[in-house]
Amino acid sequence: MKKTTKDFESAIAELEQIVKTLEEGELPLEKSLELFERGVKLSKFCHNTLEEAERRIEILDERGELQEAPETLKLTEESDSEKKR
Amino acid sequence: MIFVNHLSSKLPFDEAPERQPESPARRILSVSELTTEIRNLLEERYFDSWVEGEISNCRHWQSGHLYFTLKDQNSQLKAVMFRTALRHLKFTPEDGQHVVARGRVSVYERKGEYQIVCEHLEPHGRGALQIAFEQLKKRLQDEGLFDQTRKRPLPRLPRKIGIVTSLDGAAIRDIIKVLRRRHPNLHLIIKPTRVQGDNASEAIARSLEAIAKIQDIDVIIVGRGGGSIEDLWAFNEESVARAIVKMPAPVISAVGHEIDFTIADFVADLRAATPSVAAELVIAAKEEVTSYIESLHNRTQTSTRIALQQATRQLHSLDRRPGLTSWPARLASYLRHIADMTHGLRHAGHERLNNHRQWLHALRHRLEASGFRRTLSTSHTRLVAADGQTNSAIKRILQARDAQFRVLAGRLDNLSPLGVLARGYSICWNADRTVIIVDAENTSSGDTVRVTLHRGELSCEVK
Repeated sequence: MKKTTKDFESAIAELEQIVKTLEEGELPLEKSLELFERGVKLSKFCHNTLEEAERRIEILDERGELQEAPETLKLTEESDSEKKR
Repeated sequence: MIFVNHLSSKLPFDEAPERQPESPARRILSVSELTTEIRNLLEERYFDSWVEGEISNCRHWQSGHLYFTLKDQNSQLKAVMFRTALRHLKFTPEDGQHVVARGRVSVYERKGEYQIVCEHLEPHGRGALQIAFEQLKKRLQDEGLFDQTRKRPLPRLPRKIGIVTSLDGAAIRDIIKVLRRRHPNLHLIIKPTRVQGDNASEAIARSLEAIAKIQDIDVIIVGRGGGSIEDLWAFNEESVARAIVKMPAPVISAVGHEIDFTIADFVADLRAATPSVAAELVIAAKEEVTSYIESLHNRTQTSTRIALQQATRQLHSLDRRPGLTSWPARLASYLRHIADMTHGLRHAGHERLNNHRQWLHALRHRLEASGFRRTLSTSHTRLVAADGQTNSAIKRILQARDAQFRVLAGRLDNLSPLGVLARGYSICWNADRTVIIVDAENTSSGDTVRVTLHRGELSCEVK
């Protein structure tokens, strides 16, 4: 699975459908277990996708190019409290 | 010509003695001469006047000039404002507005009319900014740009966040602080932008356009820290509103002003009172979806566990039926394992299930080595026998049990009852199909028996 926003949303949608089907409880057990497996896979995928974003701060410059942000912006709590008079 | 207007009270006419006609000699002027003199008189005296009144008869000409009348209870004054002066107005003059005009009085000689040529207009009472705000607000509202249906929800997967604000203010630091404290793994793309002063609105609009070109931006925060209404004014300009409307992803406006709304707030998908709040909103959306996924995950497990328990219960109740009294002990313990595992699922993740699987896989080998297959075969035959009595229930149970065997103990489907029949076994029933005949002693000559085959059934007579 590719991890685009669209995939993420469709994974959630599929997971929702699986939960609904499982909760209706009218499936043969084997089908239930198949869905269960799929459901666990999907929720894991969603969870990973949520957590895997990059940690980055970039500046978009005048030429439309991305530059790494200066250290002063990647502030820590200390430098921040200094900043406040 | 009447020279009366309410400004003239302060005007001592006799202060311009050189223009007074000499009374004794009769001096005849042409209309033009008199008009010119009047014009000179007026223009010299009223080259910079302030007058207050209500706008009426307001007409915008194609030339870009504005013609109107200023009036009060008793008098009217014709007025014109040229395009060059109009450009600097923050608001659009309209009929009924009470204004203070500043300008010079002049005479339109061809018509013999005097008028005030306005250099500046400002609303009386409310500020010009206020009027401009309300006019733009109404216009954009009429266009439907504030409609709730236009508002996009915040993304559930906020990974790339565009930020349009100044690098100098507290706003950017507040945003970074909140985002990094709560969810460090976010990708921020900051477009440094002048957010106050001349042309700030154009700068903001251009920055938004630049951010819009970045691939996969999930949400945009545009804003600044608190300030006076003039400081915040850029966020009330049309160019900013239009740029926000065109953004490809949801926009959070974050102009540090708890009470008042800016135009940007109205057109944005979501309004935050401060930049920090905007960052909190982004995170809240992410946390919400995280816990939602968790709950879906838990519900998947719970409902699966319930299905397994139910199937197990059905098997146990079948166990107690007459004629099926002696389930093999191994199968019973196997069912207990299923029940245990089912119970374990409450907290089990995927790995846990895999562990169970490996364990069950090993178990399967052990069971096979100990003749479990044969035992199962017998059970299958018995289950088929029970079919006659409890047709529908058993079918369900068979499915359930089959599934358990397949999933939990490996693929044993070649042992299905139909498989047994397909290999040439058959089942012999009494005439009512209620009892399986396993002993020839139990039949008498002349009895009818039924024989179930792989395909179809025979009715036979015992000889």
